[in-house]
Amino acid sequence: MDDPLIVVTLLLVAAAATAAVAVRDPVRQALVLSVLGLCLAVLFTVLQAPDVGLSQLAVGSALTPLLLMLAVRRVGRRAKGTTGTTGTTGTGDGEREKAR
Amino acid sequence: MRPWRAVRASGEVTVWWAALFALWLVLISTVDPLELLVGAAVSLLGALAARAGRRAVHDE
Amino acid sequence: MNGWTTTATVALAGGLGATLWGAATGPLHRRAVAQNLASAVTAPALLLLAQGYGRPAYVDLALVLALLGPVGTLVFARLLAGELADGGQSPGGRGPTLAVAAYGALVVVVLCAVTGPSRAMVKLLVVGVLLVAGNLIASKALSGGFGTAGASAGKNAGQERESNGRG
Repeated sequence: MDDPLIVVTLLLVAAAATAAVAVRDPVRQALVLSVLGLCLAVLFTVLQAPDVGLSQLAVGSALTPLLLMLAVRRVGRRAKGTTGTTGTTGTGDGEREKAR
Repeated sequence: MRPWRAVRASGEVTVWWAALFALWLVLISTVDPLELLVGAAVSLLGALAARAGRRAVHDE
Repeated sequence: MNGWTTTATVALAGGLGATLWGAATGPLHRRAVAQNLASAVTAPALLLLAQGYGRPAYVDLALVLALLGPVGTLVFARLLAGELADGGQSPGGRGPTLAVAAYGALVVVVLCAVTGPSRAMVKLLVVGVLLVAGNLIASKALSGGFGTAGASAGKNAGQERESNGRG
């Protein structure tokens, strides 16, 4: 009875998941994963499971991006600490390293 | 000084309690005595937490 | 399938599809704005589904999304403050944001008119107010408003890079 709605939502989930795999940089991936979480919540609602959709919203919209971004920051900071600056905008740091 | 601060504190908690209880009444589906009791208790806890949070932020 | 679910289908296909494409391609600022608008477009669609299926309980999903969607955007705005400021502002972020906010308000008004004066209508109004306010606050935070938080985060990131280079 609701077939077009379910088909559209399933296509959206497939497209979002494909985009999440195709994007390589972790920071941009976190943004796409946030949208994927939204699509999944809508899919659960359309399949008449609103409680699952509620849990998905609660976890996927705020918690997952936060965890991902904190992990990316921690890894980036550790890499900068051991190998020196690899920052994209740190031209002053590069000069200071060469002077040392 | 002390009684006046107590009056202000209880007044602020009462305002928070009224706002939270009104929000509870709007958001629940059916209104029966058990819901009212739970709502009043939870609103009281929330009001105390809100006053503590506001004091921590504003450094009264 | 009645009119409400058909409208929700069109809204989801158009709105969520467009924001997904915006979040997957383009510069970083546009992706963040697209992520913000995705949650702002999905909440009215959930309200339409609640009306279409005849289950008022589904309004709670829109309520949670109206609260947590802007929180997710604020997470990105805080943790990406340095990179968003470096990359430069992409013009044209205001238009879609205001359009989506107006669309959300329109959906809430229509549903309130259908529901009729009752507690359910007040609940819809609360959800609508939270939705529009959250959307505007999150978009303002993304575009670098709320001076102290964004500027100090950017400065802290710059100082961290300097101290890492020196130390």
